[in-house]
Amino acid sequence: MTSYYQLEKTAWDKALTSLLGSFRVFAPILRGKTLDYELIKEEHIPHIVYNTPKPVVPLKTFFLPVKENVVVEPEDAKPVIILGVPACDLSALDLLDKFFMAEEYHDHYYEKRRKETVLIGCDCHSTNKHCHCTSYGLNPYPENNQDISISMLNGHAIISAFSPRGEALLARITVMDPAAKTFDELPGSLSDIRSKVKRELEKANRLLPNYQETTDAVINSDRAIWEKYAKACVSCGACATICPTCTCFLLIDRPGFEKVRQLDACQYPGFERTAGGEDPLKKLEYRFKNRYMCKYLYRPEKFDAIACTGCGRCIEACIAKINKNELLVELTK
Amino acid sequence: MGTKSENIYKPFKVTLEKVIEESPLIKTFVFVPEREFSFKTGEFIELTLDGIGEAPFTPSSSPLVTDRFDVTIMKAGYVTEKMHKLEPGAVLGVRGPYGRGYPIEKFVDKEILILSGGCGLAPIRSLLYMLIDMKDKLRKVTLCYGSKTPEDCIYKPLFSELNKIEKFKTLRTVDLTDQYWEEHVGVATVLLDHVDVDLSKAVAVVCGPPVMMKYGTLKLLEMGFPENMIYLSMEKNMSCGLGKCGRCMLGGYFVCRDGPVFTYDEVKDQPHIW
Repeated sequence: MTSYYQLEKTAWDKALTSLLGSFRVFAPILRGKTLDYELIKEEHIPHIVYNTPKPVVPLKTFFLPVKENVVVEPEDAKPVIILGVPACDLSALDLLDKFFMAEEYHDHYYEKRRKETVLIGCDCHSTNKHCHCTSYGLNPYPENNQDISISMLNGHAIISAFSPRGEALLARITVMDPAAKTFDELPGSLSDIRSKVKRELEKANRLLPNYQETTDAVINSDRAIWEKYAKACVSCGACATICPTCTCFLLIDRPGFEKVRQLDACQYPGFERTAGGEDPLKKLEYRFKNRYMCKYLYRPEKFDAIACTGCGRCIEACIAKINKNELLVELTK
Repeated sequence: MGTKSENIYKPFKVTLEKVIEESPLIKTFVFVPEREFSFKTGEFIELTLDGIGEAPFTPSSSPLVTDRFDVTIMKAGYVTEKMHKLEPGAVLGVRGPYGRGYPIEKFVDKEILILSGGCGLAPIRSLLYMLIDMKDKLRKVTLCYGSKTPEDCIYKPLFSELNKIEKFKTLRTVDLTDQYWEEHVGVATVLLDHVDVDLSKAVAVVCGPPVMMKYGTLKLLEMGFPENMIYLSMEKNMSCGLGKCGRCMLGGYFVCRDGPVFTYDEVKDQPHIW
C-alpha cells in the first residue's frame, strides 16, 4: 500500500532547496496570467504554484525538444526533477513511452531524458475552462507515470513515492516525517477535494462524448462538419505543437551524416508531400480531419493508449478559436 | 537492424561504384556497403546525401547479391536532382532496410501478373530476380510495363532476358510512340487486355505512379482479381522509416512499418489512398 508523508510547506521548501545542487528542478511559476515551467532557483521556491491546472506547455517538451541532433551523443547533464506535472500530462506518457521506447526502433534520446528525469505529479485542486480529463476516463490527480505525487493542503505537503526512483529521491530528503500514513489515514480534505474537482469536471463536460463515443462519431462523421470547422483553421499547427501526445517530426540533414529531429505538425501544408508532388493531405480540410482521426482512432488502435488526455490546450492555443469540444458535441448531437 | 543498442537515426556508409543511365530522368546507382547489408525484396532503405537530404528507395537489385546493391532513382525533387550529379567514389549514408516487402512465400504455385510503370519497375526488378530464382515453384510470371516514350523505358536488356526464361513473358507499352516502336501503345493498363490469367491461381503486383496504381487496381478488380490478391506498393513520404515521424501515414498505417507493400483489401478503406 502506498505510504503518504505529511510535512509543513516550509520544511518541503527547505528539502527542495537541498536538491537544487544535484538536480535541475523545473516547476510551474505564474508570470502575469501565464503559468509555465521554469528552471527553479532558490528564490523561486516559495513561488512555485501547486495544484493548479496547468502549465502552458505540455510535459512532452522535456523529452522531445523542438530541435535535437539525434546522431551526436547527447551531453551528460544534471538529472532533472519536474515538479507539478498534472495527471493529463502524466497519462500522455502511456502513449509516448510505447511509441519511443518500443523494443524495436528504440529512441535513445527520448529514453535518456525519460530515465534521467524524476516526475513529481500534482493533484489539480481547481479546473480550467477547457479541462476534460474525466471525459476520457482519467482522474484529475496523478495515477500513472509519476515517481512522486504531491499535494499542498493547509500549509502542508502530502507526498508519496510511486517508483524506486521516487523512493530514492524521498530518501535523500532527511526532513521527512517518519510517520507514514495510508491514503485513508490522511485528513479527509484531500479525498474531498479530489471528489469535488472530479464532480466539477464531469458537470462542466456533461455534454461531451466519452472516448469511444468520440471515436465512433469521428469514424461515422459526414464531411460537412469538417468543412465547416476547417474553414476557420489557418494551418498554424498550434494544436499539434501544444498537444501532449502529438509527436510527428521532420528529419533535417546536417553535414557529417548528422540528423536533426525537429517537431512538426500534420496541420502544415506539405506535411505528406512527396518529391513527385503527390500530397494526400493537400486540402486543409483533410489535414484538419486527419488530426481527429489520429487522436481518436489511429493512435489508440495501434498503441492501445489514448491520444487525447483532455488537457484542452489545443482549444486554448487555437488562434481561430476552434473549440474541439464544441465540434465533438455537435458531432454527437 | 533495430536492436536496442543501435542509434536508429544514424546511417552507415556506402560507396558509389557505378552509375548506369537508364533513361533521361532515371539512373541506377550501384553501391558497395561498408558493412554487411541484406534486404528482402520490396523492403526499402533511407539513402542520405551528406548534409543535403535523405529519401526512401527500394533497392532494384537481387536480394541474393549481398556485396553490393542497386538503387534506381528518378530525378523528381531536390535530393534526387543532386543524386543524379553523383560520380563513382561518392560516399552516401544508408539506414534500413525497413518495412514489409513482397510476401514471396505466398506466391508459390501461383501465376504472377505484374503491372508496372515508369520508375516503379525498380522494386519490381528486385522481385523479378527472386521470382526467377524460385521459378520452379511458380506457374507463370507476366510483366506488363508502361513508360511515357520508348526512351523512358528503363532496364531495356531485362525484357529480352526475361522473355528467354521459361514461364516468363513481358509486354510493354508507351504513351507516345516513335518510328521504331513495335510493341503496344497506350497507358500501362491497356496491357491487361492482352494477358490470360487463371484468376483462381493468380496474384497481381502493382507498382508505378499513383495514377497507374489507381486505374491499374480498378482494372484488376474489374477482371475479377480478389481484393486480397492485389499487392500494391503504396510509396509515401517515408522520412524516418521507423514508424515515428508520421509523414507516411496512410490512414492508421505507417507505410514505412506496415507497408510499403499492402494488399488492396488492407488499404481500400483508408482515406486518400490514391
